[in-house]
Amino acid sequence: MSGAHGVLALVHAVALVGLTPHRVRIECSRATGLPGMRLVGLPDTAVREAEDRIRTAIQRSGLRWPQERIVINLAPADLPKVGSGFDLPLAIGVLAATEQIPAASLAGLCACGEVGLDGSIRPVPGTLPTAVGARDLRTGRLFVAEAAAGEAALVTDLEVVGVRDLTEVVALLRGDRLPRESLPTPTEVPASTLDLRDVRGQPVARRTVEIAAAGGHHLLLVGPPGCGKTMLARRLHALLPPLEMDQALEVAAIHSVAGERAPDAPLSLAPPLREPHHSISAAGLIGGGSGIARPGELALAHRGVLLLDELLETPRWILDALRQPLERGEITITRARSRVRYPSRVLFVAATNPCPCGHLGDPRRACTCRPDRIERYRARLSGPLLDRIDLHIEVQPVDRRQLAGAADGESTAVVAARVLEARQRGAERWGAGMLARDLQDHQLRAGCSGRAMSTLVRAIDGLALSARAFDRTLRVARTIADLEAVEVIAPEHVEEALAYRLSAPVGV
Amino acid sequence: MSGAFAGLRSVAAQVAAEGTDPHQLAAIVAFSAQPRSHPDALRRRDRDGDRTGPIAARVAALAGPPTATTSPVAARLLGAWRGDAVRVALVGDPAYPRCLAEGWPELDPPVWLAWRGQAPGHDPGVAIVGARRATSYGSGIAAWLAEAVTDAGVRVVSGGATGIDAAAHGATVGRPGGTTVVLGCGHRVDYPRSHARAGGLFDQLLEDGGTLVSEALPHQPPRAHQIRSRNRIVAGLAAAVVVVEGGERSGSLLTAGAAAERGRAVLAVPGDVRAPGSAAPHRLLAEGAGPCCSPAQLLESLGASPSRTQPSGDTTAVADGQARPGAAAPADGAAGGGATGVTTLPPTVHAALVRAWPRPVRLEDLASTAQVPVGGLLAALTRATVNGEIAEAADGIRLRRAPPDVG
Ligand SMILES: [Zn+2]
Repeated sequence: MSGAHGVLALVHAVALVGLTPHRVRIECSRATGLPGMRLVGLPDTAVREAEDRIRTAIQRSGLRWPQERIVINLAPADLPKVGSGFDLPLAIGVLAATEQIPAASLAGLCACGEVGLDGSIRPVPGTLPTAVGARDLRTGRLFVAEAAAGEAALVTDLEVVGVRDLTEVVALLRGDRLPRESLPTPTEVPASTLDLRDVRGQPVARRTVEIAAAGGHHLLLVGPPGCGKTMLARRLHALLPPLEMDQALEVAAIHSVAGERAPDAPLSLAPPLREPHHSISAAGLIGGGSGIARPGELALAHRGVLLLDELLETPRWILDALRQPLERGEITITRARSRVRYPSRVLFVAATNPCPCGHLGDPRRACTCRPDRIERYRARLSGPLLDRIDLHIEVQPVDRRQLAGAADGESTAVVAARVLEARQRGAERWGAGMLARDLQDHQLRAGCSGRAMSTLVRAIDGLALSARAFDRTLRVARTIADLEAVEVIAPEHVEEALAYRLSAPVGV
Repeated sequence: MSGAFAGLRSVAAQVAAEGTDPHQLAAIVAFSAQPRSHPDALRRRDRDGDRTGPIAARVAALAGPPTATTSPVAARLLGAWRGDAVRVALVGDPAYPRCLAEGWPELDPPVWLAWRGQAPGHDPGVAIVGARRATSYGSGIAAWLAEAVTDAGVRVVSGGATGIDAAAHGATVGRPGGTTVVLGCGHRVDYPRSHARAGGLFDQLLEDGGTLVSEALPHQPPRAHQIRSRNRIVAGLAAAVVVVEGGERSGSLLTAGAAAERGRAVLAVPGDVRAPGSAAPHRLLAEGAGPCCSPAQLLESLGASPSRTQPSGDTTAVADGQARPGAAAPADGAAGGGATGVTTLPPTVHAALVRAWPRPVRLEDLASTAQVPVGGLLAALTRATVNGEIAEAADGIRLRRAPPDVG
């Protein structure tokens, strides 16, 4: 390896395509030719800019920048490599190739971090999934910015070394110093201050929220402005059970990739709640952007709640793009050079006004819409996406008297316990993580009594509902039965499930 | 060319109602099918003409015979009618409702009437009309009146629109009197969509022996003037017009005006003085319309009608005992618990709905005060909706039928 061209240094790094890690080999060698650094292997602009940062950082750290040509190869060449996280492995490679650190110390070393001009090592987005990748790809111990070490240390079975600057990196690799132990950041379950007890005079809405939480059913809230749609959605979120450790890591990994997570923040076990504005772009909602597609709000809400208010203000084609990810629990974004997958098992809550003016059925103010406009508006509350929403309810404004009255309903703690039990019952029956929302036709029929089935058929006919109402009703009925700890779906479960649909807009 | 004329004659013969001359029908349709030509022109010509002999023959003569140009167009139009099993009668013909033909030509009855379902008959019915944007209260009143009218063996006439019209038509299903829908468009046009779709209100009414009438060519869309002019047909087919709810510029005011012109009774249902839907009925009351506060009051106003024997005493007895012979018996499926007076609702819920009737009770209010678990309440409400005991709308839930001690 030594000889005319000296040492060939090899460092590992992890490239993320979405959340999927890929091993990158970074080979550095001196070469004949004009002084400078030559990067091979299609690095993106950010990686190319690394040269300037690394040179300055090495010089300012009292280390030597080579007076010869350095060739660096990032393999495999066809893998897109994005971001400043490659600074640190590149710098280590250069220092080893120029024999400022022993090449042998690089064995089983993987690194991720941005190098500042002063030589400091800074955390980059995606440290957590990089750490997961380093473990799964068995690249060896992982050097990361000290600020991100806690986050990386959440990954078990991986040696994480937090480093502050290049001087420390050199000292560690020369064996002049022993690494500090990296402790995983603490986990926490942020206590929600939103209690279901605060929802007054809306027993039906409360019941709906409980069913949505227990079965993971998507929910459509239709009601005039100020009737408490957002308040209900937030309380629904507070009813969801805390995440398991691996789920929390998965969620944190997505937020880390999106740069939405401070690397030193505690690991939250609370399911996420995302409330994007209705003017959000398709890329913002589904994911996208230039280069490797970033996760959108949908993926950021993975294992939590995605609340979209003013549903009909969002363009139809963007809404339609939500359907498949909601159905599959996964988003696939295909680009010319890459295909990215993000998980998207979300509870989708959509909210909208009952009519264009917003006051249909509002006792506080009269609706001023023409009936044909109401009919057209309501017709838009159907279609492929809305068909995926199992629960549709009208949220009715509460009058002042009830608002002023005492809170009479059950608290979030009481209802959340019931939700958890119902979920556990479902998981025992169908397998871990399965919700009633995910059940297929045959699974639903299996747990339904003959009388319940004939009640459903008769009701669908009598209420002139579409055939699509069939599965939707059975899914909800399954959850209602589970909330009552009943194994077989009975007629009254079906009848209650049928009530979660919108009624006629005008008096009939 | 003679082939085209032969085709026109044969399709006209299949579409013409009994007693209507296919040649006259073909001539008038061919005339109306020309660009910028309207059957109204024939009415004006007839008004200024000498007016002897049968009206249809005079009008057909004024239209002139079909030409080589107009006859294929007319054949297509008649073919569309035939495809929809539509029958057409010309004004003054035996099958054309006499109560409507009465005003020819001054009161402007349509030159032809095209219908689906049962023939419209000659006896005038009762028109129950009002706002499309009806409240549940208005719909409840409309249904209440319509039930009593049809139970007395009298046809309920209305415009087939959403809201009050739909509530009135719908209440006649399974009852003796029958109903006539006066469309504001051609028979080929699905309007309003929610009623015209397969299995919708119109299909239910046709299945129940109802009639859908129109003065329009098959494909004519529901333009505003078209909808306005159908109101005169509603009035022409009715011995009395009741306006239930309507805004300041409600089309039901035109119907009431057309009824007054024809010397038919005009009634209005008083409403909440502050509700926008009270504007039309209150204005009519101020202008001298009769107040209609109960089915009995409405049926009394029909006393002048020649075809009707005034029921003596309790109207409920008429409803139960003197149903028109041959009329459909109330279907127990559709009327269900409501019809038999047996409720499947929890007693507290039923009591709350009875107290409020015909006003609706909002679901959350019902659930807050019912003292039964929400899940059970919702299941009971679904059951009651399926068996026709209650109706659910955006402004709440109400009993479909008047409680026994009302009216
Ligand atoms: Zn409105």
